[in-house]
Amino acid sequence: TLRVIYTTTVVQRKNVAASGPEKYTEAFIKKQIEEFNLGKRHLANMMGEDPETFTQEDIDKAIAYLFPSGLFDERARPMMKHPTEIFPEKRKIQWGEDGRPFHFLFYTGKQSYYSLMHETYGMLLNAQKYQDQMTAQGFPPEKEKKNLPGSRWLTKVELEEMLLEKLSDHDYSRFIQLLQKLVTLPYGNVEEKYMQKFSKEIATQLQKVVIEPLKYDEQGVAFSTGEGQRKTARATAVVYDNGSGKITVNGVDVLHYFPVLQDREQLLFPFQFLDRIGKHDMICTVSGGGRSSQAGAIRLASAKALRSFVTEKEVEFMRQAGLLTTDPRLKERKKPGQEGARRKFTWKKR
Amino acid sequence: LDHGHALHATAKDWLSSIVSQDVQILAERSRAIFRTSENDPANHAEHHEGCHYSIPLLEVKAVFPHGLPSPFQQQIKTFNEACLMVRKPALELFAYLKSSSFAHPAIRYVIYGEKGTGKTMTLCHVVHYCARQGWLVLHIPDAHLWVKNCRELMQSSYNKERLDQPLQASFWLKNFKTTNERFLKEIKTQQKYAWGKRESTEEGRPLGEVVEQGLARVRNASDAVGVVLKEIKQQCHLGSFRLLVAVDGVNALWGKTTLRKDDKSPVSPEELTLVYNLRKMVRNDWNGGAIVTTLSQTGSLFKPSSAYLPHELLGKEGFDALDPFVPIRVSNYSPREFESCYHYYLDRKWLQHEKARTTEGRDELRFLSGANPRQLQRLAGPL
Repeated sequence: TLRVIYTTTVVQRKNVAASGPEKYTEAFIKKQIEEFNLGKRHLANMMGEDPETFTQEDIDKAIAYLFPSGLFDERARPMMKHPTEIFPEKRKIQWGEDGRPFHFLFYTGKQSYYSLMHETYGMLLNAQKYQDQMTAQGFPPEKEKKNLPGSRWLTKVELEEMLLEKLSDHDYSRFIQLLQKLVTLPYGNVEEKYMQKFSKEIATQLQKVVIEPLKYDEQGVAFSTGEGQRKTARATAVVYDNGSGKITVNGVDVLHYFPVLQDREQLLFPFQFLDRIGKHDMICTVSGGGRSSQAGAIRLASAKALRSFVTEKEVEFMRQAGLLTTDPRLKERKKPGQEGARRKFTWKKR
Repeated sequence: LDHGHALHATAKDWLSSIVSQDVQILAERSRAIFRTSENDPANHAEHHEGCHYSIPLLEVKAVFPHGLPSPFQQQIKTFNEACLMVRKPALELFAYLKSSSFAHPAIRYVIYGEKGTGKTMTLCHVVHYCARQGWLVLHIPDAHLWVKNCRELMQSSYNKERLDQPLQASFWLKNFKTTNERFLKEIKTQQKYAWGKRESTEEGRPLGEVVEQGLARVRNASDAVGVVLKEIKQQCHLGSFRLLVAVDGVNALWGKTTLRKDDKSPVSPEELTLVYNLRKMVRNDWNGGAIVTTLSQTGSLFKPSSAYLPHELLGKEGFDALDPFVPIRVSNYSPREFESCYHYYLDRKWLQHEKARTTEGRDELRFLSGANPRQLQRLAGPL
């Protein structure tokens, strides 16, 4: 018998990195699905609902109720979903018991990618053949119908997910080029169904900001309101027409409320941008925040109010100048182990 | 060729002279909007409102040795001329002064307004007017200087309970001497004053001697001030001269002080000789002159910065003491006055920024300064 001699740990250590990502067996996935379904029925029972008609939404609500979490990231909270959503799809083993691969392009390395390219090129050839047939029969080529601008091709990541194998940028660009070529062909629309698999709709409904019309008060003077905020300050501004440039803040004159020049300059900015310095009066109310943030909040509120007095082009100029955007900066959270948000404790060597 | 050249040269000269004349005429016309050549305040009328008039520098030194605010003094040095704007409150005061009868007790005028609106400058305008008219001007530039930041406090030799301030008193006496030289020779003392064991001023000596005594012996300066004030008050109703008591920051006389006695107990204003005598002057129990005072929050002690009304700044005591008075409100620049001030700065080349000359620049300045004279002056500085 051989006695175990002391060997180096190098041999015995398991090489974790070389084994690659975790592979799930089919049996494992099946078991997970069974457990999920059972758990779903148990949950429905617990909540007093009918197990048969318990949907995923009901599951989410029930979990949120039973395990309330204050974490900010949605992905960190407890969730119960179907195993196919949780465990990413993995490639099943590509060869049979005799060791012979199923797919004919297995030895290229990227079998699904090359098969996809092969298929797409086949479609292209079909379209060309069809076009030749039509011209031979005498029908004029159809006008090119462009793809609606509301759709885009799949991104590289999405394509990788679909094919379950890694792509390179070059491969991806080649594939997209093929698709573009197919689209531009006159009879390419025949293959539209095939191409729809690789295109996605973009939400074309952009949020159009509605500019409120001017309101008129008792004397017939036009005025408009706007709201703004900055850090913790909230402000509302009412801008009147036919004014002399007088500004009242919380019932006090602007010189008294903002003795610092910097704050007054902030208030001046929207009017100066539109060249309407002495033409409007303004009455505003502001609360919260400090001196500087109140000034920023009033600036945003007055810019929003001035939109009603001004043409659309000038509104676009204002937006590009940054007058209509709420400043998203807020006070950063203090982290434990540090003195402030960024400042660390004094580093002591020993 | 030479003939042609000479003709050409003369033609060019003639053209350039015409152009420069045009430019000059234009400049003068624009200057006429915000400047006036009427240098005597007595003749300032409504149509001069908003215009600047200049005071000759020698007169400035004679009439205002200590009266003008320090930013204005620096401006005089920079521009090499002293220009004051004619404004409505000053014109109002002139009208009152001209129409008041000097047989009646002296009328008190209180100039009040928010910070930086031009109260001290109005007071200086009035002082200049009275100086030109030949009045005896008793100008206290800032009464707040007497109730704070005093290094030396001595017990008064005249009255044991009161406290003297030799430095401030001697400084004021020096300036008083410069303003009213000729009166000091004319007015004679009516009483004998003993300054110490060996020094005394006889009856009938000119007031100048009292002043000299105060300047020479700093210990007796405050008492000298008291003597001067008493004499002037007594002799004013005789009618040989008119008296103008101009006090800037009169609310200091009735507020609190930051001074402390040796035993760390706070000093109230009555215990200061200077303040006590000044209070006597401001009472309207004499005739033959006028009392013009200004309220000032800037130097005041223990008062909120938003206070500018008489009853807020004077307190109950001061208000009762000054009651009845004629209030005169000074406010921010009207649009016309703002234009005038702006053009004055442009003319003096004080606003160097290119954008400052445009209409947008002017609107910006008006917005940012809120038509407040002091803010405008501070804004225009760096430009």
